[in-house]
Amino acid sequence: MKNKYLLPLAGSLLVASAAVGQTRAVSGRVTDATGSGLPGVTVLEQGTSNGTSTNADGSFTLNVQPGATLVVSSIGFETQNVAVGDRSSVAVTLKTNATQLGEAIVVGYGTQVKRELTGSVTQLGSKDVENVPVVSFEQAIQGRTPGVQINQGSGKLGAGVQIRVRGASSITASNQPLYVIDGIPVTSQDVGSASGEPLNPLADLNPSDIESITILKDAASSAIYGSRASNGVVLVTTKRGRSGDTRVTVGAYFGRQEATKLRKFLNADQYKELFSESILNSPFLLIDPNDPDADYASVADAFAGEAGLDLNSTENTPWSELAFRKGSVQQYDASVSGGDAKTRFFLSGSYSDQQGIIIGNRYRRGSLRANLDHSLSEKVRIGLNLSLTRSVNDRVADDNAFSNPVQLNALPPIQAANDPTDPTGLNRNTLYYNALLQVDNAENRSGNYRSFGNVSLAYEPIKGLIFRTENGYDFLNLNERIYQGRFTEDGAPTGYGLQNQLQGINYTTNNTVTWLKTLGEEHTLEALGGFSFQRYDQQNNSSEGRGFPNDQFKRIASAARITAASSGGTGYTFLSYLSRVNYTFRNRYLASVSARLDGSSRFSPDNQYGVFPAASVGWIVSEEGFLKDNNVLSFLKFRGSYGLTGNSEIGNFSSRRLYSAIPYADVAGIQPTGLGNPDLTWETTKQADIGVEFGFLNGRIAGEVDVYEKITNDLLLDLQLPYTGGYPIVTRNIGDLRNRGIEFSLNTRNLDGDFKWLTNFNLSINRNKITNLNGQEIIAGGRNLGRVREGEPIGVFWGVEYAGVDPANGDALYYLNTTNPDGSINRGTTNDYSAAAEAKLGDPNPDFTGGLTNTFTFKGFELSILNQFVKGNDIYNIGGVFQSVNGDYFDNQTLDQLERWQNPGDITDVPQARLYEGNGTAPSSRWISDGSFFRFKNVTLGYTLPNNLLKPTGIRSARVYVTAQNLFTITNYDGYDPEVNTTSFGRPSYLLGHDFYTPPLAKTWLIGFNLGF
Amino acid sequence: MKTIPVSFRRLVAPAAFLLTLGLMGCDKQLDIEPQQSVDAATALSTPEGVQSALTGAYARLDLPQSYGTNLLLLADLLGTDNTTYIGWQGTFISYREVARKQMTDVNTEADRTWNQNFQTINLTNLVLDALPVVTDDDEKSRIEGEARMIRGMVYFELARLYAQPYRTTGAFSNAAVGVPAPSSTPGLPINLSANKTEADAARRIARSSLEETYTQILADLTAAENLLPASNDRTRFDQYDAKAFLARVYLQRGEYAKARDLANEVINDSGASLNASSVSTFTNKNSSEVLFEIQQNDQNNAGNSNDGLATFYSSNAAGFGGRGDVRIFASFANLYGAGDQRGFNPQIGASLIYEGDGRRAGALRSFKWNNAGQNISILRLAEMYLIRAETNQRLGTSVGATPLDDVNLIRSRAQAATLGSVTLADILQERDLEFAFEGFRIHDYKRTGRSIGTGATGIAANAPELVMPIPKYEINLGNALPQNEGY
Repeated sequence: MKNKYLLPLAGSLLVASAAVGQTRAVSGRVTDATGSGLPGVTVLEQGTSNGTSTNADGSFTLNVQPGATLVVSSIGFETQNVAVGDRSSVAVTLKTNATQLGEAIVVGYGTQVKRELTGSVTQLGSKDVENVPVVSFEQAIQGRTPGVQINQGSGKLGAGVQIRVRGASSITASNQPLYVIDGIPVTSQDVGSASGEPLNPLADLNPSDIESITILKDAASSAIYGSRASNGVVLVTTKRGRSGDTRVTVGAYFGRQEATKLRKFLNADQYKELFSESILNSPFLLIDPNDPDADYASVADAFAGEAGLDLNSTENTPWSELAFRKGSVQQYDASVSGGDAKTRFFLSGSYSDQQGIIIGNRYRRGSLRANLDHSLSEKVRIGLNLSLTRSVNDRVADDNAFSNPVQLNALPPIQAANDPTDPTGLNRNTLYYNALLQVDNAENRSGNYRSFGNVSLAYEPIKGLIFRTENGYDFLNLNERIYQGRFTEDGAPTGYGLQNQLQGINYTTNNTVTWLKTLGEEHTLEALGGFSFQRYDQQNNSSEGRGFPNDQFKRIASAARITAASSGGTGYTFLSYLSRVNYTFRNRYLASVSARLDGSSRFSPDNQYGVFPAASVGWIVSEEGFLKDNNVLSFLKFRGSYGLTGNSEIGNFSSRRLYSAIPYADVAGIQPTGLGNPDLTWETTKQADIGVEFGFLNGRIAGEVDVYEKITNDLLLDLQLPYTGGYPIVTRNIGDLRNRGIEFSLNTRNLDGDFKWLTNFNLSINRNKITNLNGQEIIAGGRNLGRVREGEPIGVFWGVEYAGVDPANGDALYYLNTTNPDGSINRGTTNDYSAAAEAKLGDPNPDFTGGLTNTFTFKGFELSILNQFVKGNDIYNIGGVFQSVNGDYFDNQTLDQLERWQNPGDITDVPQARLYEGNGTAPSSRWISDGSFFRFKNVTLGYTLPNNLLKPTGIRSARVYVTAQNLFTITNYDGYDPEVNTTSFGRPSYLLGHDFYTPPLAKTWLIGFNLGF
Repeated sequence: MKTIPVSFRRLVAPAAFLLTLGLMGCDKQLDIEPQQSVDAATALSTPEGVQSALTGAYARLDLPQSYGTNLLLLADLLGTDNTTYIGWQGTFISYREVARKQMTDVNTEADRTWNQNFQTINLTNLVLDALPVVTDDDEKSRIEGEARMIRGMVYFELARLYAQPYRTTGAFSNAAVGVPAPSSTPGLPINLSANKTEADAARRIARSSLEETYTQILADLTAAENLLPASNDRTRFDQYDAKAFLARVYLQRGEYAKARDLANEVINDSGASLNASSVSTFTNKNSSEVLFEIQQNDQNNAGNSNDGLATFYSSNAAGFGGRGDVRIFASFANLYGAGDQRGFNPQIGASLIYEGDGRRAGALRSFKWNNAGQNISILRLAEMYLIRAETNQRLGTSVGATPLDDVNLIRSRAQAATLGSVTLADILQERDLEFAFEGFRIHDYKRTGRSIGTGATGIAANAPELVMPIPKYEINLGNALPQNEGY
């Protein structure tokens, strides 16, 4: 068995030659509780970088100094220290680490052991994001993150994902967390311009490369990121090589997908019935064959005259279904990792291809990564991470575009989809644009070249003192290209092309020194100091053209007229100084303080630096004598933290009063772009957190509860100014809001033994309240109901309350909701919309969200079921005014509109159909519904082939699995999918829970395998 | 550990390294200048800067909230009864509300039109405020004249949309219909200050009376008349543009003699001449008939997908395309006689009304707005002829020409049958025909007291629903009070 593997031995020899003095060989075997050998366990000589990892049957050999202690560690097991003494062979049994207390948690500028953490942090591992049919990793961790709400918002591939860490901390600035990949803050927000809807730049990270995702939630953990931490910080760490055997993994999956749910619309007969009635009831149309002054002689004439429709058509086109198709997914990935004590490497490549459920939607990504570590000497280590990703997203139009395929549901079923006589083969004389034309006549593609990289150097001149410099970049090259052919709505008559090229580069340097010191037996001190500088530069060029020779020519070079062209740039810098001290006394009293001084080009010179301090304490009660030997309560820790963070996503030049160009035909003038505000500064969040972590029965039941309050002040608000002054707004730090919440997670090992059953449950409750808006109200405007009001949660639905239908005459009714002289609310109804007062209609923020994961294992089988749930949020369907409006215009209607009032005495919620009259069309609570859902988010059944079967094949491990994503959803939401949040309409971050022809998520079935060599 | 001092020298190198990096990141790294903007402190500090800002004010006239779309479109939508003139077929509910006279105080068009035009007014104020840096006297006069012309025009357009009609004479005078005199009718809030700070911009301004509003409009336009050169760049205002616009204002006020004389002067002295064809004004840029046009090109225009006159009016598969949102009723097209170039012709582009073959095909469409990049005629000579005809008719004079000759001049140019005699009603109808879809309709009906529609559904010219609401935004801020009746 010995010396079978060359690399560990070579590593040992190199280390041995570098070390001074006598060494001797120690061999051993590492097993789990059942006695089977554990491969891949890291065995390190304590206090050195001398180490190896166990081979397939768990055995290892290592040359060590006399009196050495071995540190034996593996993910999922408790780390064990083994004093070698004068033994030449050791046997180590590792305990499974269900409580994960020994787990190393990635924190800002370092790592910490979970049991010693005093902040609130959620960390997820690679298995949570691998092999999930999603575009971007955040989509894979839905339902697994207490305190973090993740909303995909739309079924479009590669679209932006909304993430709220402990609620929304801002109204007008960003609410998305800061993303840091391997220590380097990256571009995580949309930088594209070809579409009104955001792209998700995080999709450029291959989820298979991720070792861990850590979400810093409270001030103690996040304040080290200062002015960018108010929305939480997501730290992503990529996989690294470990010394030991070279390991090769190969995996692939293949699947099919379809929409989670489609909405039902009227068929041709129903359409004819409803609209004939609507025409006859219309106060604007007189239908009379005998009256020469009548608008039309017959209903059929009115169909033809008003909308160009043929009442006698025999068509019955299921338009709403034509927007969707059966999609497919496939992914291939491979990695090679390994190394010796001196050099470790991880290399990976992957390719994935998703053909979306919406016609024309496709996302492809290929990526390569190389992560290298090399120990120049015992004291100097260098590391290099490099990745390159190419992604191509064939996009569909914005929700609010006629070319959005989902808007096909508005087309009358009595119109044909196809027209064989038309050059496109499609019917181009539909009531609205026939978006099927987009499939063959238009392209909308965004492609990225993305590279993340960094070089690090760590120098440990004396034990415990480490200087580290980390210099990285995030290079994003986005290329957006649209061609709309001559038969499309936007490209007629001679074609339309757009090209936008954007380059965004983040450069970051982090330079830290950490000092770890144990004083006597009782005091441990870890101090961190450093500085960081980041610069972001963005350049873009775009052009648009019309007048193409024909649709074979799609580049702007072929356009006769350049209708728009632009080029510009922007940027920002951050200069930061940071420090942190962690102190542990008697292994159970924990304290930590940190501070960051942040300066940024975004802040005005009068206000250029901010300090963001935090402090936290912890007490591991279970280490106290009175609990130490308690058999029931195996772990108990209390912790508390308080600190200050900021939100600097305030725009790059918001404080400045500037003039910009405004073109006037062939010349250009200038105009002021706003008032500016020299006092403008970051938003500030003060957060207090109290948490308790517990474990019972040796960790069989373990959990964590956190209670927090986040108070955000200096909210950046557009103070409304009179229009007559020429500047409708001035941006000031004037608002306040509060988030309070509880988050709870529980891990249990319900059954242990051959048949294992693990449960993870998490629940998050957050209450958001706007406490000060300087007396203003922010109205999203248009037909939206979302508002920001003092005393209400962000995005509260506010407007006129729908009261159903007057049984006597079929009029839509609204609650008056006016205040009576005695202060009570008048709940009388009116058919006069303008007589009704506005009231609170709903809340798009959920009462609670959470997830439930059950994992069952037996022999080689593993079944895991991830449920995700959201409760108590409301959704407003903006499209209701077109889709569900008792035939007010010729848009096809949802099936429920057949319940319209017809005769006096009818009791219904759907008013009488009256073409054009606007009976019940005004924005109101009519289209609000409950968005709660309980979803079988991911169900995976896997089978790992037994080792004895594989041994002769040379395959180290083999696993096959089937997965169903979004298998089914229990909801009362009557639209497409309750996980919806349209990002059309300028996407202010307070516009929540609105649906507007937004496509549903995909339900995916897939089968896959992983092989290890 | 006692080894720390011993290892001190080992710390020197990394410490120096870190320090170097630290110094590299000094404060000047935080100075990032915007690349597409300049600081307000320097933007208007040179004559070139002031000229640029003035050009900016012209550019703002082309906004969709201004002459680019709404100042024209809203007047025609307000002026339709939805059965005999034009109809709104589009999906924009804000425009549908205007056409159907169902506006509320949150109507998007009422809001954005008001908002953007007051921003234009402030830009003209900023230009006037910066005038001292212009040293050349001629240039200074010209810039001041152009800025005051723009300001006066914008106030006039807003007054016509957001206030009751100004009428002191005739059958539809305020006395005759029993409404308050202009001096006690709300006009507009008047801002003449160059706002640069939040304190400036935050001032609440109550609405002046309609009388005061028109006084300001006339002050600006007569100043412009005096300051502007007789001839200016073709795309800029000159003295005759000011006179022509003043003629329009006087006509609106019922000051017919002043309107007549100014119109006559423009006809005689401006150098403009009628185009040979009624169509060519709308297919050419800056043609001989045009006194002033909003300049547009393919890149820079009021919009080609969700805004812009051509966007809404056009439905032309082989041409610009368009949304086909505004249809023309056959009853209106039939008012033009056979052969009239302004009426219907089956061949698209041969006349100013065609049957749309693009979006919502089959309905009649206007060919006046046929391309997003075309210029938008604001003042053209035909208006002066019809002002002269109307005022001569009303006053019983024949200054310059008889009303019949002027009307027939316009009609024969359009290849319409000439008339043997004219009445005031004929002249008003000729205006309806000649200036259809050009933003005249509601203003002509209001000043002449004609209701929109007839019979039970007719809306009186001074009805509250024909006046746009002051945006609720302003009312909420306690600004621009009082709100108009009915909102």
